[in-house]
Amino acid sequence: MSAQRFADADYDGALLEVRDLTTYFESERGLVRAVDGVSLTLERGKTLGIVGESGSGKTVLARSIMNLLPRHGVQRSGSVRFEGEEILSLSPAKMRRFWGAQMSMIFQDPMTSLNPVMKIGKQITEAIRQHLEVTKDYANQLAEALLGSVRIPEPHQRMAEYPHQLSGGMRQRICIAVALACGPKLLFADEPTTALDVTVQAQVLDLIAKQQSERFMAMVLVTHDLGVVAGRADEIVVMYAGRVVERAPTHVLFSDMKMPYSEALLASIPKIDEHSHTRLATIPGHPPNLVNPPAGCKFAPRCRYVQERCVNEEPPIRPGVAPGHEFRCWFPVGTPEGKEALERNQRENRIPQAAARAAAPN
Amino acid sequence: MAGSGTVHLRVGDALLRAEHLVVEFPVGHSGEKVHAVSDVSLDIMEGETFGLVGESGCGKTTAGRALMQLPAPVSGTVTFDGVELTALHGESLRRQRPRLQMIFQDPISSLNPRRRIRDIVREGLDIWGLGDKSARDAKVDEVLDAVGIDPVDGARRPHEFSGGQCQRISIARAVVTEPKLIICDEPVSALDVSVQAQILNLLEDMKLRYGLTLVFIAHDLAVVKNVSDRVLVMYLGKICEVGSPDELYERPAHPYTAALLAAIPVPDPGVRPDSEKVLGGEVPSPIHPPSGCRFRSRCPKAQPQCVTDEPEVRLFAPDHYVACHFPLEAGEQLDFARVGVGATMDAPPNGDAAGT
Repeated sequence: MSAQRFADADYDGALLEVRDLTTYFESERGLVRAVDGVSLTLERGKTLGIVGESGSGKTVLARSIMNLLPRHGVQRSGSVRFEGEEILSLSPAKMRRFWGAQMSMIFQDPMTSLNPVMKIGKQITEAIRQHLEVTKDYANQLAEALLGSVRIPEPHQRMAEYPHQLSGGMRQRICIAVALACGPKLLFADEPTTALDVTVQAQVLDLIAKQQSERFMAMVLVTHDLGVVAGRADEIVVMYAGRVVERAPTHVLFSDMKMPYSEALLASIPKIDEHSHTRLATIPGHPPNLVNPPAGCKFAPRCRYVQERCVNEEPPIRPGVAPGHEFRCWFPVGTPEGKEALERNQRENRIPQAAARAAAPN
Repeated sequence: MAGSGTVHLRVGDALLRAEHLVVEFPVGHSGEKVHAVSDVSLDIMEGETFGLVGESGCGKTTAGRALMQLPAPVSGTVTFDGVELTALHGESLRRQRPRLQMIFQDPISSLNPRRRIRDIVREGLDIWGLGDKSARDAKVDEVLDAVGIDPVDGARRPHEFSGGQCQRISIARAVVTEPKLIICDEPVSALDVSVQAQILNLLEDMKLRYGLTLVFIAHDLAVVKNVSDRVLVMYLGKICEVGSPDELYERPAHPYTAALLAAIPVPDPGVRPDSEKVLGGEVPSPIHPPSGCRFRSRCPKAQPQCVTDEPEVRLFAPDHYVACHFPLEAGEQLDFARVGVGATMDAPPNGDAAGT
């Protein structure tokens, strides 16, 4: 097994390369285009933030890359290369070699992602015993050391306890320990702190960051909160309606945001230094129906900058000024044409059609 | 009882005044108790939004529910609009219910999945027999429209709506009986940031439109600041700090408030998250809370005095009250990676660990 793990250690390309990945779910109403032509690249040891609202496809994207979706009723196409090896169409039996050992995932809800009737020690050693040829005693020692490294107090005692005996923050640390057990090269963290308090959120994110730099592990951090990824990701991908609408190195995204959707997401976060009762900027309406998405730009019905062209013609992804910056918009934020579009809308008192009727269930 | 004090209560007529609230739950038959809320006093003026902040397990939800008498507090009084709720029982208490409403955290599980949303919103009117049938229908249409749900969709069931829309329906259900006070228990913490902003704005609109007073319970300080006129920070069943949001956030006096503020993620890549600034540890068990100041086990400033004496709420600055022996000086930086000398000391032998 270990020979297998280090076989491609001299592979020097990107750790993960996703090209035109699509993931459609078959439903009674038609095909749900949850992920629609996503391409991204992740280098070793780097952090990629995936940001978007519920229903933007960010969780499905993470699971589709990891091949964790059901076999039936799902259509996937495109290419997912892990260390140069195509893994998109591998069978679950073949994926086992990757799951846990090469790539692993921390899920959103620590309450339900642990087995309630299995002792914590066993949940960690299960993966170690599966992937590494070690004795039971050694696996236990390894698990105990892991619990210590995710700062669980009294790890020896915890090994024999059940998940319900621990708080939410502690359970999420156990999930991190399980995910890290076999030393994966790539970690997916799917909203790892959404179910936690702010103080515990900061502790858990710091812990993941520390483990990541110690292990030189790459991470995909999925979240709906731009505040969470701002200081932690090297690169950010903003998703909307199953597509990447903006991609940029973190500092570029925050200093030179081009996509109106990214701007709107950032504006809707309440800021701590604003006075109370400051009216929050909102994004009217809700994400589009992914069975019959709008013809033009998917964000057009909710966009402040919307023009005729946006409704009829979908903008292609195009490069920005800074290297690595791409976005999908005809009237980008901070450009003369974007400014003009916004002014025209304000002058003619044109508001996105969704704003008039904030809530029409699909 | 080392009291938590009532100096922060304002003079004049409050819409709701709670004094010395204590809520305890028995732990099996062991004779031990969970000290969920220990001597908390608060007052809410008419038309104000009162923010209640703290981590999970600090007793903020229990305190909010105790105001509603759900369940009634073990001791203490709650006076609402001149009526002492804690003295009422059965039918007389039930008569007060339409005037006090609640909005819950999880919008999807707080709506009955088998009922049409119209009927869910209408139920309060039917129970109280408010108006005739057509007046009730008109009222339901009006509130649904006010919260941004098309009344035409009233025949749909909750699963056909998104989380944000379900929270709008919950708000419609709460305002339909024309209450004076609504207790919002983490109404936006299950929602996306973009939907969160919509719901916060909607609550402000509803407040103006229906002349509401709100109690807003949340763990996110930025959210609480945005909506509140007065903020109360709680820790392990006790008051830490009370004041106007602008003052409290500008100059936190209690180390716990400072810790909560430092933990908020900043949407700016220039601000690196700094683990030195993050409060360590977790809320201790409310069955055996630390003696003296309950925050001392995690506090970087804890001193021996914090072990023996419980701090009372006292005036710190105009309209800014704090329960701390060693409040923060202006501009003082705390290193949360360490704890003070008083943090790990044992309670004095005759100490009342529960602080009661």
